[in-house]
Amino acid sequence: MAEHPYLSPDAQLPYCRGCGHALVVRHLSRALERLQLPPRSLVLTTDIGCVGLADSLFPYLHTVHTTHGRSTAFATGMALAESVLESEGLKPVVLIGDGGAMIGLLHLVHAAQLNVDITVLVHNNFLFGMTGGQHSALTPLNWVTATTPEGNWTPALDLLALLRAAHASFLARQFATDKDLDTVIADAIAFPGFSLVEVLELCTAYGTRWNRPTGTSLQDIVTRQGYRLGQMEAERERPPFRELYRRELESAPRRSPEATMPRLATRAQLAEELHLVVAGTAGERVQSAAALFCRAALAAGLYTTQKNDNPVTQGTGFSLAEICLSSQTIEYTGMESPDVVLVVSQDGWKELQSNGTLARCRAATLLLLDSELAVSPPAGRVLRLPLRQEATPKGAALAALAAWLSSACILPSEAWDAVLASLAPDRRAQAAETLRIGHQLGERGGAPAR
Amino acid sequence: MLAQGALDAGCRFFAGYPITPASEIYEVMMRELPARNGLALSAPDEISSLCYCVGASLRGLKAMTATSGPGWALMIETVQYALMTETPVVIALVQRLGPSTGGATQGAQGDVWLAEFSTSGGYTLPVFSPSSAAECYELIQHAFNWSERLRTPVVLLSDKEVGMTTEAADDEALAKPPQIERTPVRAKAAFAAYAFNTPEEVPEFAAVGGDVKVTVTGSAHDQQGRLRKNAPEVIEVLLHLQRKIEAHAEEMALVRSDLDPNARHLLISYGVTARASRQAVRILKSKGFPISFLQIQTLFPIPRQWLDWGTAGVETVFVAEENLTGQYRAALAPCLEGKQVFGINKIGSLISPSEIVRAVRGVTA
Repeated sequence: MAEHPYLSPDAQLPYCRGCGHALVVRHLSRALERLQLPPRSLVLTTDIGCVGLADSLFPYLHTVHTTHGRSTAFATGMALAESVLESEGLKPVVLIGDGGAMIGLLHLVHAAQLNVDITVLVHNNFLFGMTGGQHSALTPLNWVTATTPEGNWTPALDLLALLRAAHASFLARQFATDKDLDTVIADAIAFPGFSLVEVLELCTAYGTRWNRPTGTSLQDIVTRQGYRLGQMEAERERPPFRELYRRELESAPRRSPEATMPRLATRAQLAEELHLVVAGTAGERVQSAAALFCRAALAAGLYTTQKNDNPVTQGTGFSLAEICLSSQTIEYTGMESPDVVLVVSQDGWKELQSNGTLARCRAATLLLLDSELAVSPPAGRVLRLPLRQEATPKGAALAALAAWLSSACILPSEAWDAVLASLAPDRRAQAAETLRIGHQLGERGGAPAR
Repeated sequence: MLAQGALDAGCRFFAGYPITPASEIYEVMMRELPARNGLALSAPDEISSLCYCVGASLRGLKAMTATSGPGWALMIETVQYALMTETPVVIALVQRLGPSTGGATQGAQGDVWLAEFSTSGGYTLPVFSPSSAAECYELIQHAFNWSERLRTPVVLLSDKEVGMTTEAADDEALAKPPQIERTPVRAKAAFAAYAFNTPEEVPEFAAVGGDVKVTVTGSAHDQQGRLRKNAPEVIEVLLHLQRKIEAHAEEMALVRSDLDPNARHLLISYGVTARASRQAVRILKSKGFPISFLQIQTLFPIPRQWLDWGTAGVETVFVAEENLTGQYRAALAPCLEGKQVFGINKIGSLISPSEIVRAVRGVTA
């Protein structure tokens, strides 16, 4: 290890005279000396603002200078990666200001929730220094800044109280002038989860110029804001992310691999592309019936595409699936005019009216409708079957497909067998029964062959 | 298929935030990555998603996120950071109808400009555009490979119609290009995070946390990663960021072509509209219409060589895309000088083969 592996003793600090940032970097360096951490096991992750000038002061540490407020998020990404690499080698230390803490508040909250192994040092000098002394979310009441010349009138955010609610496991608030700041920082870095130290300090360029602080001003601010100093009660016993994630993986149920579906020897042949629409009500297994049909077609060597549509609410209103079937690769997946339209509920019918599908039906289009639908179809051959009544509302779509196939003779019966064999036993029995009902309805109803 | 391709490309880190029509990629990664010694995580917003990915990539993992237009809008700051810090990362941008939250379950090809022209300085982001599930599988692997090789963010620009349509794909026919890794640092003693001899060269990579000290910054910097103002080397680094992409433009070009030396017309398309276009070209050719076709898979950098070949001897060029103003047509304009150029555009639903045939015949009648 180099003689001075952290802050070099003759480093020219780039901060204004009297700036608290200088105290923080010196205390940080002493904390690292105390911990004797290898320099390459640390990554200084700095935010935008005067805090971002620290990178070059630590020539042996990895440094990542980031975008405004995002330093915590980049550090979290590095710490997350570390937990997959299973080498407990890297500790991100984030240097961020009060402005960055607010614009990146979500990142602090989530890092606390995850309890990732990072340490955040918030340099809270109550304003934006680098850009001219503007007010921040952590500016105390009545404090004069460039943008609150008559004094700040919005109450300051209590960052620690907020992060306490986000289950942070190590929280402390110190003055930059505290003699034991290095000890607190060392404790924070040694802590194996999310730790944050808010360091209260003054910006000599703007804060002291406009607010004429006395020796007790910082203490007065603390009292007025109702802040607590020192280490806060926090959830120190929470396991760190690495541990939480490992436990989660170990307790996750092992998934059995999906049963594969064999390709059948009997191949279906279509002279030209076929376009189907299945329409019904959300929650009544319309799209899953269409998916089973597509798998049967796939087993029989056909190419298929399936496009589903439903309202954004997912569980109410219509549900529909558009299917293309072909012996060749399918290019255009839309439908200029459908060949077969299966409608098993009023919701489905209304949607096909509103999206223009019914208007695009031709004389040759087959409309297979549930008997309960009180509708007058446009062009096309119409067949009505008691699908909902015989196969239940949740089986109607699959029964409609089976009914149509009973006379359309597009797929060999082995195709359905192959699909059924790939299903879990309970679902298999139900689907087989629905297919049987649909098939019977089709034979009885004498669906016109295509 | 896109997620599967990412896994086969060696992706080990994914952070996501739900958004239709990209949520399925997120769900598959959450399910599959842990079993492959990777990590998939729910982020609290899209800004965090991409920041986490970039952080993980700095640590050495291949990383990806997936989103749609509204999420991409939030990610642009971090995309630029990845570009500036030469950090490989892949973003799958699954387009939906915009602007704003637009139509979450409606397809569109309206984010071409938003994807490509999103950096201060106008740097070229490589953008790949698949038209099918099989192409999603193939192109996401190329996206990872180029991202790693060039140390730059890469966009896989899909859309709702490609991303949310279930379709059959031949396992045996799926393309599996060999995996490419970022070049690791060789001469460790003399390592500089952004070192190059010629501007086209891609710097060697050392992971943050390794035994070589790494300096990363999103601010204007020299080859060592030091912040410098008014230094010629800073400008050289900025030029290098663009030159390393341009130098590989032809190598990056992926196109599916159907060029006829006797064609007097050329149809260009990409993404889902390329499928209708191919069908339209088949119809036109079956009637003896002299037309060539280019499906562009590498939208950016623009595959100029292919455009030269495609436009040779041709009088009219049609560009079919599902957006209002012809975004890719405008980007191609410098390559189509001297030709009569027509857009075939529509929003709200797929452009059909017969609409393309009618448009082509309408102009050429």
